[in-house]
Amino acid sequence: MRPFQMQRREVVGWAAAAIAAAILPFTIPVFAETNRKPVTHIVDITDFVFVPKSLEVRPGDRITWVNKDIVPHTATADDKSWDTGALKPNERKTITVTKKLLGGYFCRFHPSMKAKIATQK
Amino acid sequence: MKIRTLIATVGIALITVMGGAQANDPAKLNDLQIAHVAYTADNIDIRYAHLALALSTNPKIHEFARTMIRDHEAVNTQALALLKKLKAAPQDNFLSKQLTANSLKLIDKMSKLRGNAFDKFYASNELAYHKAVNGLVANAFIPNIENAEVKALFKTGLKIFKAHEKHAEMMVKGLK
Ligand SMILES: [Cu+2]
Repeated sequence: MRPFQMQRREVVGWAAAAIAAAILPFTIPVFAETNRKPVTHIVDITDFVFVPKSLEVRPGDRITWVNKDIVPHTATADDKSWDTGALKPNERKTITVTKKLLGGYFCRFHPSMKAKIATQK
Repeated sequence: MKIRTLIATVGIALITVMGGAQANDPAKLNDLQIAHVAYTADNIDIRYAHLALALSTNPKIHEFARTMIRDHEAVNTQALALLKKLKAAPQDNFLSKQLTANSLKLIDKMSKLRGNAFDKFYASNELAYHKAVNGLVANAFIPNIENAEVKALFKTGLKIFKAHEKHAEMMVKGLK
């Protein structure tokens, strides 16, 4: 009887470990993703290009645009709902991510400069 | 029709200069002459832009013109600072003179136009002008500039003026 009980306990133990092992890799990263601390994303404006051109963010994150060119630029929503205003050379502007930041944006001074912001999965 | 003829004039003037005579070869200009051409070309575009702000009522034309003033002034400031650092002065030359003469004719013609006629002329001329100058900078100037810092500034300038060319293209399309 005793050895059997021991065996059972062991089996249960192993099963729990197996379940935990199976679940943890999925649950922990998702948990960490949704509750991760807000981060600051840097977008360099260099040689008339937003780098990166496509940025993935989460609400609460911050985006900092840094103008590394010798002329002023802006980052302006395609629908004009937000705007960094003119960024002089070496100037930077930070905006906290809300829903309205998602989508395309461009430079008001140089409309051929385009980029976008999407939700991180 | 008139507009096309005039653009052809600007274009041909530069092409003749580029393709032809050895005496008047942009590829043979020295760094200080090239700097003078660039400074002249910048100032011509700034003058066109002021004309556009005075004569056009189209917000897209105004936005473009303000960008031309802002950017070409920025490039000029950098160019002057660099020349000062190098203790050099830009040198007048045949190409600067030719660009200025052409621009005076164009300003004279443009200043008589109003409304859509002005906008179309200005937009098409900006496209033609940036194309011509960009060709000159890429093919005749950058390969021949000797000073590394001057060359670097021209490379930066070319990126800016290429964006202007794209912007002008959008402006021309938007006016049709
Ligand atoms: Cu810009």
